Amino acid sequence: MFNYTIRRLLFAIPTLFVISFLIFAILDLAPNDPTGNLPLTIPPEVRENIRISLGLGEPFPIRYLKWCQQFFINEPLNLIEQWFDISIGDSENRLRVQSWATRSPVVDLIVERLPQTLWVLGLSYVIGILIAIPIGVISAYKQYSIFDQIGTFISMVGFSVPTFFTGLVCIVFFSSTLGWFPSIYDTTHEVTDLASFWFQVKQMIMPVMVLALFNASQLSRFMRASMLDNLSQDYVRTARAKGLKERSVLLIHVLRNSLIPVVTVIALGLPQIFAGAIITEQIFRVNGLGQLLIIGIQGADIPLVQTLTFIFAVLIVLFNLIADILYGMLDPRIRYE
Amino acid sequence: MKKALLCTAVAAGLFAGPAMAERGTDGQLKILYWQAVSILNPFLSSGTKDIEAASAVIEPLAKYNEKGNMVAILVDEIPTVENGGVSEDLKSITWKLSDGLVWSDGTKVTSADVAFTAAYCMHPEGGCAQVSNFTDVESVEEIDESTVKVNFSVAKPFPYGPFVGTQSPILNKAQFADCMGAKAPECTDANFGPIGTGPFMVSEFKANDVVSYVANPNYRDPAKPAFASVILKGGGDAASAARSVLETGEFDYAWNLQVEPEILNQMASAGKGKVVSSYGTSVERLMVNLSNPDPALGDKRSTLEGGPHPFLSDIAVRKALSLAIDRQTLVDVGYGSAGQVTCNVLPAPEIYASTANDACKTQDMDAAKKLLDDAGWVPGGDGIRAKDGVRLSILYQTSTNSVRQATQAIIKQWWSELGIETELRNIDGGVFFGGDQSSPDTFQKFFADIEMYTNNFDGTDPEKYMANWLCSDIPSPADQWLGSNMPRYCNPEYDALVAKMGSTAKLEDRAALAKQMNDMLMQDVAIIPLIHRGGVSAHANSLEGVKMTDWDSELWNIADWKRAK
Amino acid sequence: MAALASTESLQLMLQVTGLSMHFPVYKGLMRRQIGEIKAVDDISFHIMRGETLGLVGESGCGKSTAGRALLKLYQPTSGRVELDGTDVTALEGEDLRRIRTDMQMIFQDPQACLNPRMTVGSIIAEPLDEHTRLSRRQKRQKARELLDAVGMNPDYENRYPHEFSGGQRQRIGIARALALEPKFIVCDEPIAALDVSIQAQVVNLLEDLQQQHQLTYLFISHDLSMVRHIADRIAVMYLGKLVELASREQLYQSPQHPYTKALLSAVPEPDPEKEAIRERIILQGDVPSPANPPSGCNFSTRCPIAQEQCMRETPAWRELEGGRYIACHMVQ
Ligand SMILES: Nc1ncnc2c1ncn2[C@@H]1O[C@H](COP(=O)(O)OP(=O)(O)O)[C@@H](O)[C@H]1O
Ligand SMILES: [Mg+2]
Repeated sequence: MFNYTIRRLLFAIPTLFVISFLIFAILDLAPNDPTGNLPLTIPPEVRENIRISLGLGEPFPIRYLKWCQQFFINEPLNLIEQWFDISIGDSENRLRVQSWATRSPVVDLIVERLPQTLWVLGLSYVIGILIAIPIGVISAYKQYSIFDQIGTFISMVGFSVPTFFTGLVCIVFFSSTLGWFPSIYDTTHEVTDLASFWFQVKQMIMPVMVLALFNASQLSRFMRASMLDNLSQDYVRTARAKGLKERSVLLIHVLRNSLIPVVTVIALGLPQIFAGAIITEQIFRVNGLGQLLIIGIQGADIPLVQTLTFIFAVLIVLFNLIADILYGMLDPRIRYE
Repeated sequence: MKKALLCTAVAAGLFAGPAMAERGTDGQLKILYWQAVSILNPFLSSGTKDIEAASAVIEPLAKYNEKGNMVAILVDEIPTVENGGVSEDLKSITWKLSDGLVWSDGTKVTSADVAFTAAYCMHPEGGCAQVSNFTDVESVEEIDESTVKVNFSVAKPFPYGPFVGTQSPILNKAQFADCMGAKAPECTDANFGPIGTGPFMVSEFKANDVVSYVANPNYRDPAKPAFASVILKGGGDAASAARSVLETGEFDYAWNLQVEPEILNQMASAGKGKVVSSYGTSVERLMVNLSNPDPALGDKRSTLEGGPHPFLSDIAVRKALSLAIDRQTLVDVGYGSAGQVTCNVLPAPEIYASTANDACKTQDMDAAKKLLDDAGWVPGGDGIRAKDGVRLSILYQTSTNSVRQATQAIIKQWWSELGIETELRNIDGGVFFGGDQSSPDTFQKFFADIEMYTNNFDGTDPEKYMANWLCSDIPSPADQWLGSNMPRYCNPEYDALVAKMGSTAKLEDRAALAKQMNDMLMQDVAIIPLIHRGGVSAHANSLEGVKMTDWDSELWNIADWKRAK
Repeated sequence: MAALASTESLQLMLQVTGLSMHFPVYKGLMRRQIGEIKAVDDISFHIMRGETLGLVGESGCGKSTAGRALLKLYQPTSGRVELDGTDVTALEGEDLRRIRTDMQMIFQDPQACLNPRMTVGSIIAEPLDEHTRLSRRQKRQKARELLDAVGMNPDYENRYPHEFSGGQRQRIGIARALALEPKFIVCDEPIAALDVSIQAQVVNLLEDLQQQHQLTYLFISHDLSMVRHIADRIAVMYLGKLVELASREQLYQSPQHPYTKALLSAVPEPDPEKEAIRERIILQGDVPSPANPPSGCNFSTRCPIAQEQCMRETPAWRELEGGRYIACHMVQ
């Protein structure tokens, strides 16, 4: 298993380089220009100067290599310096990956956004899982019952109605009409006491629940299918024949086996927590990583988009590996050499 | 300081009530810009949101008020030729800073800061987005600690480009000294938290998300600002921004609400806030083709050589077309708070706005009919007026856009009441405005009788804009159809006025000239203005002092904003 | 001991009366019931203590369903199953769980019936957790003993099922079934999925265990030749119904039911002389669907001697002399 993991990680390195190059190339070919949003009154010479000041004057391969150096060497060095509070070499003049729109290091922007994204999306993911698993289990166990029918209906709705719609409905109902929850997430809010904690809960409820519902509707379907798969297996009958309590049959035998593929799906879905939920973040103004990405795209902030996309790619590769390893750990039939 | 003081006095009289306000007593002000702020250095960004967010912190020497008039901010007096601030040859302007000005960190504001700002933006490697404000600037001299002189390479009848308006604020030299040229983007701390003279200072900035400000303890007016802190949140879309002020009341101010009029009205009916508009120079207008667009003319189609228009060359017809339009209806249907009726192609700033043409504000169908009758255009058997075999049949084109198509349909209705036949056409905006030489459908070629679109000009000075209708600017195949004189209006008197404005410096005289030119175009009905289009924002009922403007930052007078008592 | 065994062997172990298992068939959006599959339809028989009853029939005729319904792994549609005097069909909940220690099942597919995520040791010991108060060590000891009893290395207890061959897995399945020391075991084609070379080993193991533990078997198979080896009496099933039940000798020597005859004619004779003259009865047509059985005798559509009466009347399950049973109009 250890060797397998190391081998997979080594293989991931060239893959990621290829991905980073592809992202860079695609962004370079895309017809958006950081000066494209400037008012028409700005003369072409000024535009050209701005482009040059952003480093666009250099040829493509040089720009790519510069980005690689900044991202793979300078940024990690900077992180190490910050963590251990030391300085390595000429840290003053070491160029970091700079966003064009904000003229600040992209990594700092990302770090600034991580907390709200992780809190809101992470929590929605966890709650989604906590809702989905029991619903999936009961739906499968009582297949075609009223519970199952209602569960199926709700998850179809939750899955097919986009979050921008559910989000809007929530805002109109809970914020505009009832005035219970704020419709705008305050990223500067700090939890210091019970009251401020309560405020934090209130401002998180709507985005978290809207996303959790969406996640849960997907996952509960998956859980249900996996349960159904296992419920009809012979070993379940064996377990019943052993005279086990129905609860033990369900929880020890069926659920544990059914969770294997579900855990994989959950692990594969984890990078999306970091990618942010673009639409939900926009609606509730959570301004996490998803919103950062969308602003980067709109403003043609290529270093920002490039770096974010690449980090997502890394996470996806990583979590694919984690999912595989988890599968191997959970299912004794699978062995990696 | 006189003007600034006057302004303060007026503001205090209007809003403060009997008791004099005190700094920081009104708690927090919450502002929503649905486009999130990326950076607080306006020289490195041209996004309106960034420039406006910075305007609460750093200030220019003079700003524009809601009427488009200059008001002194860091100086006591705006330099003019009369007061000797602008040289007779119009090649230099000398600004004198007010006494006792300090930065928010307590250090003195000096002419060195002003000169540095110019050098910072004009540095060739800095990529300054506002460098066009410094066009023709030869040098900026520090005469003494508080006097600075800007020298131009040419005569500048309007020398208020540098250091005037939100796009040209003064930077703190000490803070930005190491950020010149290629280094500019690396000064993240400075770019995220510039030290300024404005009513607020940045306390925390999360790029592309939220700016937190606190009141500047060293602000020049000890009674201001009324708010102790400001949150400027970004993200989302215009409709939800409007909702947060008008419906949920979570925010005090929301900017740039491009939302359909009905939706906005419905939100406003919740009674929590007000929708406010500001008007710049955008005018939705009908251009009248004075040349002949007949396809039979081939190359000469819609050119001066092709001869005059068969019926639009008759001013009676043009006047009748304008008289038949009820502009208020057009506003109500398509624009709501984002539009108002206008009879001028140069509707603003106020000093340039003529009142000579206001008759057009009311529809007069009878007068229109009488005009046509008197001119000999009488209805034929099909109900369409004609004279000497020429039928009044109009091809009316515009770009594809739901509001424009609705406007077209309504106008067609009125014109048919007059006995004029109208054929409507809409062309994709990319083609219509695209300027493709090979396309017959561009607005420059104008192969139609009437066309409709919006145009405007940047800043407050209309000199360049009014030069659009020079004889020499008529589009033609010879100049690749690049001219800006769409109506093909050619009047030597008009051309003479344009030339005269180019050498007039005195603001009042310039205004008189601009009005005269506007009136000439209007009386000749070469252009039929319809709607003065504006920007829309909203503020909570509990917020006082908002004077929305299109000429400067919407936050230009944020120092005067306060909570209603 | 022997005397005791013989008196005990006279006792009834299992009495099945009129057992039916009908699966409803649903269709459409609203899942309306449109019919039922009569997988097991009104069967009656008994098994004596220590006896092995073979249950044979073509695949799909309802043998497994019958076996599961007996053990109340399904809720039977109707009928009565008495195990050692207790009516199993009426039991629910706790009582049912308790009686499961007395009756066990060995499944056809030894791979599928073992939970892939549990070690062999825990699979075997799990029923002990539920039904006994043994200590952890005792349970572990017991599991090792059982592994040993089925001829496996006790050290395999920490391995997972997928690490074993089919024959070994079936041994694990048997050890698991024996863990609670049941009286009665349904062996549902325990060797059908195994290599021929291993089949005999497993059958011998089952026989040895029967001896050691005084077990009573219902041995299900689709293969008459295998049953011959292990069963004392044999029941033949066709399309959810029993058609004939007789002792091994009776059945092989003088089959009465035309279906039994047809089945036996397909079994190769060990004696080459007999094999030479063996006449195969080839049945015409396909087995009808249990969802839509023919009227009258289920076998009438394929029966070589069917009469008009067979199409109309369902033949009764009746006892002939010599303790054998049959359901056929044509047999007197
Ligand atoms: N759970 C079930 N639901 C519906 N039909 C079933 C079910 N189990 C078995 N059947 C049907 O009952 C019939 C008998 O099946 P089974 O008892 O498995 O036969 P055998 O074991 O003799 O091969 C078959 O037609 C099968 O399709
Ligand atoms: Mg079977």
